[in-house]
Amino acid sequence: MANIKVYVPRDTTACSLGADSVAVSLQHYFSNNDIDCEVVRSGSRGLYWLEPLIEIETDSGRIAYGPIGPNIIDEFIAAKCWKINKEHWSYLGVVDEIPYLQKQQRVTFARVGVIDPLSLSDYENHFGFSGLKQALDMSGQEIVSQIKDSGLRGRGGAAFPTGIKWQTVLDTESDQKYVVCNADEGDSGTYSDRMLMESDPLCLIEGMTIAGIAVGADKGYIYLRDEYPLAFTVLEEAIVLARNSNFLGENILDSGKNFDLEIRLGAGAYICGEETSMLESLEGKRGEVRPKPPLPAIKGLFGKPTVINNVISLASVAAIIVNGASSYQNYGVNRSRGTLPFQLSGNIKYAGLVEIPFGVTLKDLLYEYGGGSRSGRPLRAVQVGGPLGAYLPESQWDTPLDYEAFTSIDGMLGHGGIVAFDDTVDMSAQARFSMEFCAIESCGKCTPCRIGSVRGVEVIDRIKAGENSVKNKELLLELCDTMVTGSLCAMGGLTPYPVRSALEHFAEDFESGS
Amino acid sequence: MLQYYDPNKNSQPGQVIDPRRDYGTPAISIDADETVQLVTLSIDGQEVKMPEGTSIMRAAAHLDINIPRLCATDSLQAFGSCRICLVQIEGRKGFPASCTTQVEEGMIVRTQSQETAKLRRNIMELYISDHPLDCLTCAANGDCQLQDMAGTVGLREVRYGYHGENHLDAVKDESHSYFTFDPAKCIVCSRCVRACEEVQGTFALTIDGRGFESKVSAGQNEAFMDSECVSCGACVQACPTATLMENSVIENGLPEHDVVTTCAYCGVGCAFKAEVRGDQVVGMVPFKGGKANRGHSCVKGRFAFGYSTHKDRITKPMIRNNIDEPWQQASWEEAVEFAANKIKTIQKEYGSDSVGGITSSRCTNEETYLVQKLVRAAFGNNNVDTCARVCHSPTGYGLKTTLGESAGTQTFDSVEKSNVIIVIGANPTDAHPVFASRMKRRLREGAKLIVADPRRIDLVKSPHIDSEHHLNLLPGTNFALLNALAHVIVREGLEDKEFIELRCEDDAFLHWKEFISDPKNSPEAMAQGHWSAGRAHYCSGKTLWKSR
Amino acid sequence: MSIDKEASKEEMVLAIVSKYKEIPGPLLVVLHGIQQELGFIPPEFIPDIAEGLNLSRAEIHGVISFYHFFRSTPAGRHTIQLCRAESCQAMGSRELERHAKKSLEIDFHQTTADGQITLEPVYCLGNCACSPAIRVGDAIHAHVGAESFDAIVNELISEKVEVKN
Repeated sequence: MANIKVYVPRDTTACSLGADSVAVSLQHYFSNNDIDCEVVRSGSRGLYWLEPLIEIETDSGRIAYGPIGPNIIDEFIAAKCWKINKEHWSYLGVVDEIPYLQKQQRVTFARVGVIDPLSLSDYENHFGFSGLKQALDMSGQEIVSQIKDSGLRGRGGAAFPTGIKWQTVLDTESDQKYVVCNADEGDSGTYSDRMLMESDPLCLIEGMTIAGIAVGADKGYIYLRDEYPLAFTVLEEAIVLARNSNFLGENILDSGKNFDLEIRLGAGAYICGEETSMLESLEGKRGEVRPKPPLPAIKGLFGKPTVINNVISLASVAAIIVNGASSYQNYGVNRSRGTLPFQLSGNIKYAGLVEIPFGVTLKDLLYEYGGGSRSGRPLRAVQVGGPLGAYLPESQWDTPLDYEAFTSIDGMLGHGGIVAFDDTVDMSAQARFSMEFCAIESCGKCTPCRIGSVRGVEVIDRIKAGENSVKNKELLLELCDTMVTGSLCAMGGLTPYPVRSALEHFAEDFESGS
Repeated sequence: MLQYYDPNKNSQPGQVIDPRRDYGTPAISIDADETVQLVTLSIDGQEVKMPEGTSIMRAAAHLDINIPRLCATDSLQAFGSCRICLVQIEGRKGFPASCTTQVEEGMIVRTQSQETAKLRRNIMELYISDHPLDCLTCAANGDCQLQDMAGTVGLREVRYGYHGENHLDAVKDESHSYFTFDPAKCIVCSRCVRACEEVQGTFALTIDGRGFESKVSAGQNEAFMDSECVSCGACVQACPTATLMENSVIENGLPEHDVVTTCAYCGVGCAFKAEVRGDQVVGMVPFKGGKANRGHSCVKGRFAFGYSTHKDRITKPMIRNNIDEPWQQASWEEAVEFAANKIKTIQKEYGSDSVGGITSSRCTNEETYLVQKLVRAAFGNNNVDTCARVCHSPTGYGLKTTLGESAGTQTFDSVEKSNVIIVIGANPTDAHPVFASRMKRRLREGAKLIVADPRRIDLVKSPHIDSEHHLNLLPGTNFALLNALAHVIVREGLEDKEFIELRCEDDAFLHWKEFISDPKNSPEAMAQGHWSAGRAHYCSGKTLWKSR
Repeated sequence: MSIDKEASKEEMVLAIVSKYKEIPGPLLVVLHGIQQELGFIPPEFIPDIAEGLNLSRAEIHGVISFYHFFRSTPAGRHTIQLCRAESCQAMGSRELERHAKKSLEIDFHQTTADGQITLEPVYCLGNCACSPAIRVGDAIHAHVGAESFDAIVNELISEKVEVKN
C-alpha cells in the first residue's frame, strides 16, 4: 500500500480540542502496526465545530472526518476510518465539497488547512514564492502600483488603501526603512491572523518580503501578541526555513536584494494593536500612543519611514502580484474590493472562518453559514468588528458586509470578527464591559480615555441602579461624545460606539431591575 | 570682535520671544545660515506668519491667543495628552490638537466655538472628578494651571460626583528636603517625566502602570530621595499643579514679585527669578531668558538659596579699625566714608601701589568688572586679582595666546549644533550641571562624544548617553594626547586651511606645524571620522590646564 | 534562597542582557527572556538591565509595570489565564469566572494558598470559535465550563513534581 497522508491540524483551536493527542495516537497506531500512513500536521480549514478534523488523502480528493476528539480517536481507528469508512457518523466526504467551504472564495486562505505549513515544497507546489520571484523582477513603483490598482484596503480594521501607504513610504527618502506586520490581533471574536500564521506562515513572510522590496526596506518585524504561543512557534520555524532556502536574508534568490525578518512578542496590551503604540513597544518602551501627524509611513519605527500592515493585508500581497491587480479588484462591491476572511464567533453553531467577497449580508453569514446560535435560543445581538464595534440588533442584520455600508449605520467591519449573542445577553452588561475594557487597556496618556472610561462604568452602574436614570443616560451620551471627539486614538475614540448602540437598540436592558 | 552663534540673530517672525511667557510648544531652532520657510495662516480671523514646523498653539500665542492647555509647555516637546487644546481647522474633520498640529500655508483655524467649549468643559470635568477640592488651602492656590483652566473653560459642576474611583488617598512623598510630591493632585500630564528626560536628561522618573492606575514614579516606585533624582527642580517647575511643589512655597505661600538675577554658584551663570516676599527670597526659579541656562537649573541655584537668609550673612555695613576689634555697625555713608579715607591714607603713606582689590569667582562678570574699575580708576593702580587665578590663570594665558580671548569662544547655545563633542579634564554633570544637561540633549540627538579623562566620569556612560570613546589617559598625559591628535591632523592634511589662513599668523603656524609633524608626536590611532564632522565643540576643565 | 542560586540567577539575567543588547529596541525582548527563565522579573535585577542596556531604572520599571504580562513577583506553579472578552462572554465566561474564583478561593492576580495556581484574566486567546477558553502554560482549552475547569485544575494539582538534581 502506498504511503497515505493523514492530515491532523496543528492549530490553536484544533489543539484546544485535542488535536495533538489525536495526532500522537494515530502516529503510534500506524508505527506499531507497520501501516504505511503518514500523519501530517496541516493547518486548520477553520470549520471549527468539526475539529479535530482528520483528512485522508485519496485519489478522489481529501476525505474528511470530524470532530475526532481524544475520546473518539480509538473508535475512529477501530472503525478503520483511515481506510475510508463512509458509514462512520463522522464521515464528511470530500472536504472541498463541504458546503461551508465550497461556498467560500478562499483567495488569501487558499492554502490554509491544505498544506503542511512548514513544508517548503508543499508551499511552492501551491504557488508559494511565485509572487516573490515575480516581484524581484519588478521595480518598486511597479509593485506599489499593482497593489494600488488592486484596491486592497488594510484588513486590520482601519481599511486604509494599502497601496497609498506603500507609495508614501516609497516616496520618502531615508537611509533605512522598515516593514512591520501588526500581528497583535486583540479583538475578541477574531482569529484569522492567528489561523494564517499557524497554517500558512510562509505566505505572510512572502508578502512582507515583497513589501520590503517594493518600498526599499531591508528589515521587517512581526509584532505578535504573546497570547498566541503556537503562532509564535510556527512562525519562528517558518522564518528559519525561508532563510535557509534563501527566500529571506541577504541576496534573496541571487537578486542582490536583502530583506530579513524578526518576531517581537507583545506583553498583554490590547492598545499595542494601535500602530503608534505598537511602534513604541517595538522600540522597547511603554505602549503610549503617539500623536499623528507625523504618519508612521514618513516617521515610524525608530523615526524611519515604515510600512505597517495587518497580517491578512500582507498575506494578500503575493496573490495580487501573481494573479494581477484586477483579479482582486473583481471581487467585492463599491469601494470594498477583494475578499475578507470573516470570523464567526461566540454563540454560533457553526463557528469558523468564512472568506468571501464583500457584499454578502450579515444575516447570510449568521444563518447560511453560521446556522444560528449554538445554544439553540434566538440570536439577539451581534458585535461586528471587535470590542470597538457596535452591537447590531436584528433590524440591522440585512446590512451588506461592506466598509461604507457598515459605517453608515455607525457600525464597523473592522477585522471581520463577528460575535453573536443569544437572547440571554444583558446589553447593559455588555455596554458596561465596553467601558471596562477601555479602562483596563487604556494606555493612560489622554484624559478622555483614561478617566472617561472609568466614569463610563460608574455612570452605567448608576443607570442600572435606577439612580437619576434620565440624567445619567444624558451624561453617558455626552461622555461618549467627549471620548469620540477628544481621545488621542481609536481606543477611547471608538469605545462609545458599542455603548451607544446598546443604549439605542437595547434600551430596555438599561431599565433598573431588568 | 568674535563672531558667535546667536539663535535670535535672524529675528524671524516668532523668533523674538518674551521669556516671561509660555508659548506652549518649543520654538523652531533655525541656523543663521538656514533659509526659513515662512507660512501664513489665519487664527480666529487674525493672520500670522510663522516658520514651518511651528505648532498652531505657538502661532496663536504670538497673536496673544492663549489656547487652553495643561500638558503643553514650551520647554518640552508637544505631547498631546490633555486634549484641552483641541481646535477646529477649516476643511478638516474632527478637532485636532493645536499642540501637535503644525501650521500650514493658508490654514484657517478657529480656537473657540460652542463645540470646543463644551469639549473643553467636559474634559476638565473629568479631571476634576479625580482631584481634591481644597483649592483654598492648597499651596498652588493662585498659581495652578488646573485651577486656571477650570476657570477658563467655565466648569460649573462635576456631574460624576466625587465618590467614584479616585486617587485622593495617595500618600505624599516628603522625603525630599526641598520639595514635596503629592500624587493625589497629579493629572498625569507627564510634564515632570518629560522634563527629567528632555531637559535634565537624568531619566529618574517614569509612569508606573497604565490607564487610570498611571502614577508618577521616581526610580522603581521609590521616594524621590532614593532615586536617581539630582534635585534639579525641572519637574517641580514643569508641574502645572501642586503635585510637585517647593517646600518654601508650601510653608510661606506664593511670592509677591520676582527679581531677575544670576546664580553665583558656578561658572555657567544661570539666570534666575529670585522670588521675593517683602525683602525675603522665598524661591529661586530659572529664568527662560537666561542665555546660559534657557530656563533650566541645578540643585544649587534652584534650592540652596538658604545663604540669602543665613545667620552668617552680613546684611548691614560694618567697620572696625583693626582685626582685634569687634565689628561695629555703621550706616552706608559712614562705611563708605571710612573705607575711602582709610584707603587714601594708606596710599598717601605707603604709595599708590600699596592697596589693591580681590574679586571672587562667586561674583558675576559685572561685579568683577566694577571691582577692577574701582581699582584702576579710583585706586589708580592695576592691583586687582581674582581667586580664579589659582585655577584659571593657565587657562587664561593659554586661550588668549592661541585663540585670542581668554573666554569661551562660543555661546552655550552653540552646543545645540555640535556634531562632535570632546570633553577633556572636565566633569560637566557634576561641575556645570546645567550646561551638561544641554550637552546631553544634543548627544541624545546623535552627536558623538569623546571623553579624555583618567576618571570614568558620568558622561562616559549613563542612561541614553554613550561616549564613542573614553580615552582614560594617565594623569599628566593630556599634552601628549593633544599633541598626538594634532600630529595626525597635520600629517593627514586635515587642518582647516581656510580658517588658518584667515585667522593665524603664517610664521607662527608653520613653526608649530614643523614641531608637531615630528614623528615623536605621532599617536596611537584615533578615528578620523570625528574630524570630518564639521562642527566640534571642545570643552576643557581646569585639570587640563593645571597639569604640567 | 542560597547565595549560589541568587548568583546564578543574576548571571542568567546578565547573559540575557548581553545576548540582546545590540539589537534595536531590545528591552521587551530582554524582559521576555528573563521572565521565561525565572517566571518573573525580580526588581533587584533592574539595575543590571539598566546598566547593560544603558537605560534608567525608572524607564525599565515603567515598561514592566505597563505590560500586564510582565510580573514582578513569582506566580504559583501554574498560571491559569481565563478569557474575559466578548466571545467568551457570549458563551458563559462570566459564570466560569465566578466559579473559578469561588472554587480556587482567590481573586484575579492572586495565588492559591498552597502556591499551586495563579489566576489571571486575559483578553482573547483567539479561540473564539470554541468559547469559553482558558490558557495554562502554552496549552489552550476550549468549551470550558465549571466541570471541565475543575478537571483541568485537578490534573494540574496532581501533576507529579519533577525533582531536578
